[in-house]
Amino acid sequence: MRKCILVLMLAVPFAMSGQIVVDAPLSDRLTGYDINAVLNPESHIVSGSMSAWWVNNSSQPVAEAMMHMYLNAFSSNKTSFSSGGRWTASGDEGWGWVKIRTMTDDEGNDLSGSMNYVSPDDGNEDDRTVLRLDLPEPVEPGDTLKLMITFDSRLPSPIVRTGYADDFFFVAQWFPKFGVYETAGMRQREADGWNCHQFHPHSEFYANHSVYNVSVTLPDEYVAGSGGKLIEEIDLGNNLKKVVWRAEDIVDFAWTAWPEYKVLTRKWKNVDITLLTSEKGLSKADAQFEAVMYALEYLGEKVGPYPWPHLTFVDPPIIGAGSGGMEYTTLFTSMGGGVVPSFLKISEMVTIHEFGHAYFMGIMASNEFEEPWLDEGINSYWEQRIVDHYYGNGYGLLRLSFLKISDTDQGRLGYIASPSRSVSTNDLPSWMYPHNTYSMMSYNKAATWLHTLEGIIGTATMDDVFREYYRRWSFRHPSGQDFIAVVNDVVRKEHGDSFGENMNWFFDQVLYGNGICDYRLSGITVKKIRSYSGVIDGDSVTYTSSDRKSDTLYLSRVSIERIGEVTLPLEILIGFDNGDEVMETWDGKGSYKDFEYTGTRQAVWAKIDPLDKLDLDVNRINNSWAEKPKHPASRRMMDKLVFYMQMLISIFTI
Amino acid sequence: MKLFETLKKGAVAAASSYKLILLIWATTMVSAIAVGYPLKSFLNIIFGNSMAMERFTDGFDIGLAGDIGRPLGGLMAAVSAGTLLYSFIGLLIMTFFAGGLFRRFTMSWGGLTVSEFLKASANNFIPFLKLALIMMLVIGAFTFIIIGLPVIIIMAVSGRNMPGGTSLYPLWAVWALGMPVWIFVADASRRWIAATGSRKTFRAIGAGFRALKEKFWLSYGTVLVVVLINSAFIAIAFWYAITKTPDRGIMIFLFFLFTQLLVILRLFMKAWRYASVCEAGSSR
Repeated sequence: MRKCILVLMLAVPFAMSGQIVVDAPLSDRLTGYDINAVLNPESHIVSGSMSAWWVNNSSQPVAEAMMHMYLNAFSSNKTSFSSGGRWTASGDEGWGWVKIRTMTDDEGNDLSGSMNYVSPDDGNEDDRTVLRLDLPEPVEPGDTLKLMITFDSRLPSPIVRTGYADDFFFVAQWFPKFGVYETAGMRQREADGWNCHQFHPHSEFYANHSVYNVSVTLPDEYVAGSGGKLIEEIDLGNNLKKVVWRAEDIVDFAWTAWPEYKVLTRKWKNVDITLLTSEKGLSKADAQFEAVMYALEYLGEKVGPYPWPHLTFVDPPIIGAGSGGMEYTTLFTSMGGGVVPSFLKISEMVTIHEFGHAYFMGIMASNEFEEPWLDEGINSYWEQRIVDHYYGNGYGLLRLSFLKISDTDQGRLGYIASPSRSVSTNDLPSWMYPHNTYSMMSYNKAATWLHTLEGIIGTATMDDVFREYYRRWSFRHPSGQDFIAVVNDVVRKEHGDSFGENMNWFFDQVLYGNGICDYRLSGITVKKIRSYSGVIDGDSVTYTSSDRKSDTLYLSRVSIERIGEVTLPLEILIGFDNGDEVMETWDGKGSYKDFEYTGTRQAVWAKIDPLDKLDLDVNRINNSWAEKPKHPASRRMMDKLVFYMQMLISIFTI
Repeated sequence: MKLFETLKKGAVAAASSYKLILLIWATTMVSAIAVGYPLKSFLNIIFGNSMAMERFTDGFDIGLAGDIGRPLGGLMAAVSAGTLLYSFIGLLIMTFFAGGLFRRFTMSWGGLTVSEFLKASANNFIPFLKLALIMMLVIGAFTFIIIGLPVIIIMAVSGRNMPGGTSLYPLWAVWALGMPVWIFVADASRRWIAATGSRKTFRAIGAGFRALKEKFWLSYGTVLVVVLINSAFIAIAFWYAITKTPDRGIMIFLFFLFTQLLVILRLFMKAWRYASVCEAGSSR
């Protein structure tokens, strides 16, 4: 360690970083990594020497450092990641680990004796994914901790996000990496301290925006790609080459290598897009590029500009499918290219989703360990908007003449169909969700209530919320409370107190509560009140005795019940036998509500939430009632089933 | 020329048996409706007075499936069980009526009354059922040898996942070219049973192979042509039924009529195959 004056020290990282990729630093760049790595394809080991630095931007001296040692999650079947049979190695060669060979500070002091593994989340002594380094001297405010580390990372097999399969390598979460040192007040934290969680099956990221200078030496038949900008590729002779990348202001650095990669490039505005795919995936390349460009366009317009001039994405081959569907900011992986039929937009959906993470935890670098909804939920919400906007006329995932599903409904389906949808609140840390509800809660439920929020405050306001979220929190670390504060500010600015003093009532129910939303249209009753003749005023209409149909007065009552615990403002559309339609509103807070109409017309049908704004409502079938419902679809389905059965027996019998 | 004549005579024979074909169609329709109608009732009960089914108007909206909740599981189970049950019933129905049809096509004179047709169907039912089961097993084994075995070997040797669709095209081509052989043997065997009145299944299969050997190209060609035309027809019929989504009462009724017309045509084409094989066997 070296202590210098504040100005000098702050200048160190800047000098280390320089500007190669973006015009000006996008973030504080409190951490940075210079890594020289060598891939040995036979042993599946990446050997690296690394210079890593961290700037203490707090007002207190810091006496310890915390680092993620992600690959150790794959070192045994007793780690927090793999226990319970969730992952096991494919033989002895399949275990993965990262070992530090040497660690010194920039003055050459050996720090290897100061290292010990801790398990802050679950106390699992067999989990060695968090390394604590007791520093010989505290890092003073403004000082920089610089570590020189040599390490070996053996990649696991089978691949789960990271690893190898045959000669396919996806190298992610592979090097010792600083946790985030949070200062008091940051993310509502009471005191300064490191935030460095273990590697769990469902947690991935929380990191500082960093600068990466990475070079990888590997056999020259390999095609390699990463989230960095390619600086140069050097032929080293002896069938070896060195690939040099630089990345700026991203939260993680991953790379991949495979001899059979096909490399395609496109440009969207100022962004160079590179696709690494397989021979089979080439057939899907145009669609994949199109999906990325849709996402760039949509998020750029609705949230904020994509700040980097490059991005690389991978459509892995089948052998590398375990690396699919992951995000590393300027590098992400899709899946299914060349295998999924073109009418099913699964690959496009995954591509858009993973790209979206460049925003939601890439730019707005939330803590995915502690608040997974803040990146997966928000990102799923935007993915669904994009997919349903660009594909299938509202049914983005699948739109055939006989079968359809929107991406939004696909997400909602995951929530409403879950038997455990009320088992917990939506604000738990990723590893704490009970009964395998992590995905349902973090992705599906969160996206569903975000759509509901959009339905309540309007799409334009929702877009403004995210523009403001981007403006306030890009290249910082927002919390859920910070997001809610943005919502409250924007909604108040645009709608005054139309929705109350703030929107906390909404988040208290959907994020911090575990109730469900279900409103039911229990029925319509119509009673004849009296007969009349002559001229009367009723329903603001004047009737005459000559109008024979109108000489009877009716009392129509439309009855609505709240079955769930969640209360939301509702719209109710009521139809009458004379063709009139009336839109009513209800704050949704009582256990029931009746709407009554007296006049010559009779209510014949009614719909709660006719515009499907409240996606959270877990049962839309009970949201409407008609005196004479039309069920042509059931007749058609029966006709088709009869036809299919007749045809099938004629085919499968000799 | 002989092939064309055989196909033409087969078509005429099948067409002249239209009453029998209509009887088969009516039987399949009634039994299919018996299975399908509860589905409609089930759906109507689930939706009750709800207007939500409007979302199915232009196609099945999977997004609404989750809203059905637990009854969806019951619905799917009912459809699966119904389809399975109908497959078994269908096997019996089609085997039964095949007995009557082959009898009709092996007669050198006149036609069959409905009661004669049913009697012939009943007489041939057991040997036809045995033969159908044997031939289905043979075709299953043939499919496994041509497609399944190579796939298993490829997977074992390469250590990778199942080979992709296009790489299996040559195997499927071999399979498709081989299938007419088994279909002809099955049909010629049944012709032999219907013509001789024998109930000896394995002798019938032997007779089927002999018939194939005697006039291989005519026999193979006849079945190949009929199977190709049948396959194209089936593909078009399914495409129509899958893609059309009528949404009003009269249109749905017309859709029902048209799909049933397609079933009748399909039954006619199957009868055409039977008749053509019988013609091929009897032609000099």
